[in-house]
Amino acid sequence: MRAEFIEESVESLDTMKPPAQLSRPPLPPTVPGSGSGSPLPPASVTAQRSMLVAVGPSPHSEQLVRWTGRQSTMLKTPWAAVHVESARPIGAAAQRLVDKHLALARELGAQIIITQDEDAASALVRVAEKGNFAQVIVGQSRRRRWLGRWRRPSLADRLLGMSHGLEVHVVPLDETLPAKSRPLFDIPARSSWHEYALVLSVIIALTVLGMQLPRSYYVQIGLVYLLAINLLSLRVGRGPILTAGIVIALTWDYIFAPPYFEFGIDNLPDLVLFGTYFVVALIAGHSAARLRAQAHNERLREERATALFQFTRALAEAKNLAEAALGAVTQIDDMIGSSSAVAFADENNDLPEPVFHGSLLPNERERAAAIWAFRNRRVNGRFTETETDCAVYFSPLLHEDQAFGVLGVKLLPAKTLSLGQRDLLDAFTQHLALVVERAQLRAAGEREKLLAESEKLHHALLESVSHELRTPLAVIAATSEELVEAKIPGSSDLAAEIHEAALRLNRLVANLLDQTRLESGALRPHLDWCDPQDLINAAVESTRDAFAGRPLEISIPEDMPFVRADFALTEQVLVNLLLNAARHTPLRAPVTITTGIDFSGRRAFFSVADRGPGIPAALRAELFKKFSRGDAAPPGGLGLGLSIVHGFIAAQGGEVIFGDNSGGGAIITCYLPHTAPETPPPE
Amino acid sequence: MTPNAPIPVLVIDDEVQILRLLRHALEADGYDVHEAKTGKLALGEVACLQPQAIVLDLGLPDLDGIEVLRRLREWSQVPVLVLTVRNSENDVIAALNAGADDYLTKPFRARELLARLRAILRRTRAANEVPVVRFGEIEIDLAGHLVRKAGVDLHLSAKEYAVLKMLVLNRGRVVTHRQILREVWGPNAEQNTHYLRAYMAHLRNKLEANPRAPAYLKTESGIGYRLLED
Repeated sequence: MRAEFIEESVESLDTMKPPAQLSRPPLPPTVPGSGSGSPLPPASVTAQRSMLVAVGPSPHSEQLVRWTGRQSTMLKTPWAAVHVESARPIGAAAQRLVDKHLALARELGAQIIITQDEDAASALVRVAEKGNFAQVIVGQSRRRRWLGRWRRPSLADRLLGMSHGLEVHVVPLDETLPAKSRPLFDIPARSSWHEYALVLSVIIALTVLGMQLPRSYYVQIGLVYLLAINLLSLRVGRGPILTAGIVIALTWDYIFAPPYFEFGIDNLPDLVLFGTYFVVALIAGHSAARLRAQAHNERLREERATALFQFTRALAEAKNLAEAALGAVTQIDDMIGSSSAVAFADENNDLPEPVFHGSLLPNERERAAAIWAFRNRRVNGRFTETETDCAVYFSPLLHEDQAFGVLGVKLLPAKTLSLGQRDLLDAFTQHLALVVERAQLRAAGEREKLLAESEKLHHALLESVSHELRTPLAVIAATSEELVEAKIPGSSDLAAEIHEAALRLNRLVANLLDQTRLESGALRPHLDWCDPQDLINAAVESTRDAFAGRPLEISIPEDMPFVRADFALTEQVLVNLLLNAARHTPLRAPVTITTGIDFSGRRAFFSVADRGPGIPAALRAELFKKFSRGDAAPPGGLGLGLSIVHGFIAAQGGEVIFGDNSGGGAIITCYLPHTAPETPPPE
Repeated sequence: MTPNAPIPVLVIDDEVQILRLLRHALEADGYDVHEAKTGKLALGEVACLQPQAIVLDLGLPDLDGIEVLRRLREWSQVPVLVLTVRNSENDVIAALNAGADDYLTKPFRARELLARLRAILRRTRAANEVPVVRFGEIEIDLAGHLVRKAGVDLHLSAKEYAVLKMLVLNRGRVVTHRQILREVWGPNAEQNTHYLRAYMAHLRNKLEANPRAPAYLKTESGIGYRLLED
C-alpha cells in the first residue's frame, strides 16, 4: 500500500462555482444516441505513463477505479486516485461512498490524493502537473445529457479545454447502474434543531420589539432584520439561515410593510428591500456553510498533524522496538478508539510466529490473517476486500516494498474506519517500518563492527606469531643452506640435516597457522580465475623434494577450463594431498593427480590417487578431524594436513570426498563449484 | 655481473639475525650494505645514503612496510625488494601495487635473493633498451616487433605480443595481474584475470618447449607472472 496523503491549500475559494462535476450523478438520459467518449488509446501508446483517475461519490466511480487499476497493472504504470473536495459539504452518505472508492483504489495499488478546489477540472490539471501524471481518466455517460447544450460543459470537455499536453481519457460509463439522485438541498446533518430554535426565537424577539415601535419605522426594522440574518449566519448552518431569510421576509412583509397584515407590497423601495432579504439570506447562508466546512477541514488536518507529531515523538522516545510498538499502539488506540497490536519481523525478515505487542491479542484465525498480510504485503481483514469476516484490520509495515512487520487494529463492530483514519494508519505503519528498519540496520552494523574487530585482532595475532616463529626458521634454513653449499668436508651432511629439519619445521608451523586461521574464522578466500595447470605445477614444484624418485602422473584434460578458486588456498590443498600420499605409501608407489570437470558440468575437481594401503577403516569417520592420525602412519606429522584440506575447500564452497582407488590405494577428491568463464573478446 | 664499484644497498629489517644473514649474502656478492631497523629511520637513511636498491621487510615494528613504501614512492624511484612470509599474497599484492619492484618469501635462498636484486637493479640501468632479448630457443626483437623460436618467426596477436613485451621489459621481476590487465586491456579490465590466463596459455603454447611445465613464463601463485631468465 503505497498511499500518500497529499494536502493542498484551498485555492479559488472566492469563486462561486457550482459543485464539482465529479460529485454530480449523471442526469437521467432522454436522448439516446452515440456516446461522447473518445475511444481509448492502444496499450502501447499509454505504456510507461502514469495515470490519474478522478473519484467522486457517484456509483460509476467504482467502475472507473477498477478500469484504471486494470489498465495500470497491465501497463505496469503507477497511478493515483484523486478526490476533489469542494467547500460545500456533500453529506455523510456521499462521503462514505467517496471513502469506499478511495479505499478500493488504494487496495488496487493507487496513490491517494485529496485536494480542495471549487472546480474539479482545474484541480485535476493542477494535480496532474504537480505529480507528473501524463493521463487523466474521467468517466462520462454514454448518452447525451438532458438539456446538454445549455448546461455547463462536462468535466471531460472542461479538462480538454484547459489541459496543455495532458491526455484526457473519457471512459464511457455503464448506464445500467442505479444512479442515486442527490437531494436538491443538501442540508448538513450538523444543523440541529436548536439552531432552528435559536433562529426562530431571534425572529420572534425582534418581531415583538419591532411591534412596539411606530409603523413609520418599518424600513429601519427591516435593516435590523438584515443585521440579525448576518449575525445569525455566523452561528448557524445553511438550512436555518435560509429558513430565517424566508421567515423574516414574509414576517416583515406581513406585519411591518404597508399594506399591513397582508402579503403584498405596494411600492418599489419596499419591494427592493424584500428582495434583498432573500439574496442576503442566501449569500450569508452559503458563505457561512463554506466557512464552517473549511473550519471543519482545517480541524481535521490539524488533528492529523498533531496525531502524526505525537506518534513520531512516541517513536523517537522509545529505547527499543518493543517500547516503540507500545508507544505506537497507545497512540493509535487513543486516536481511533481501537484496540491494536504490532508484530515485528525477525532478523530473516520473516514472521513465522508473530509476537504481538499492544492491547489486542489476536486469535489463531486473526494471526493467520496477519501473516497473510505480511507475506503478501497487502492489507487484510476487516475494511478490506480479502478475508472480510476477520474482525481485525491488518496492515503490513511497508518500506520500499519490504514488510517489516504487521499492525492489527480492531474496532467495535459498529464503528468504521474513515478514509482519514486509514490514511493516518498508513502513515503510522510507514513510520513504524522505518523504525524497524533503522533498528535492524543498527544491529547489523554493530554485529559487523564486532566481527571486523575480532578479525583484525586475529589477524594481528597470527601475523605476529607467524613472524616470530618463521624468522628464526628462515635464518636456520638460509644459514644451513649456505653451509651445505660451502661444501666443508665432514660438516656438509650435518648442515643438510639441519636444513631439512628447518624446512620440515617450517611446514609444520605453516600447517598450525593455517589450522588456526581456519578455526578463528579469519579465512576469507579471494576467488579468482585460476589455470588448473598452474595450480598443479605450483603444488608439484613445492613438493619436489618429497617426490624425489617417485613416479608422479599428472592428468589434465586438453580442454580443461579455468576454475574459480583462491590460488594460494587451493595450491596448499594440493600440496597437503600430495605430501599425504607420499607419506602414507611405499617409497616407489606411483601417485596420480587428476583434474577435470565432473559430468554435471557444475563442479571442477582435483583428485590425488595413490597405490598405498588405502585409508584404514577405523580412521574414515575422523579423516578430516584435526590431530587424527592413522595408527600405522609413519611417525612425524601432526595430523593436520587433511583437516586443512577439508577446511580450505569448504571455505571455497566445495567439498572433499575420499574413497578407494580401483586397483588398490586411496583416492581423495576435492570438488569446487564451477561455471565456465567467458571467453576474452576477440581482438 | 658483480659491479666494479660496490653498489650501495639499504636493508630495512628489525631482526638482527636476518640483517646479519642478508649482510653476509649481499657483501659476498660485492654490495655495499647499510642497515635500518625501523621504518622512520629507513626513510631518513634513504634520503642521505641514496642507495641504489632497498630490501624491505614488510613486518616492521613501527610503520607498516607498505606505509614505508608509500612514503618512499612519494619522492623516490629507488628499486625495492620486499621480504615477506608465506600466506600473505594480499600483503605482497598491496606492496607491489604500492610500488615495490619484486618480493621474496621467507625462508629464502641466498641465490634467489641475489637474482631478484640483480633483476630490479637492471630496471634502472637502461637495460630495458636492449633491442633483442634471448632465452632458451626464443629470440625477441623488441625494436622489430619480431618473435622467433629456434630461428622461425612466430605469429603473435597484438595482445599476446603486448603481454609478452611487458614480461620481457620486466624480465626476472614479478608483474602483477593488475599491472598487465591495466596496461594491455585498460583500467576497466582489472578484474578480468581469465582474459590474462587465456592469453598466457596461448603464449606458453607458442613459446614453451613443454607448455604444461613452463620453463620461462612462470606463474607466481595468486600474484602474477614472471619471465625467468637463463
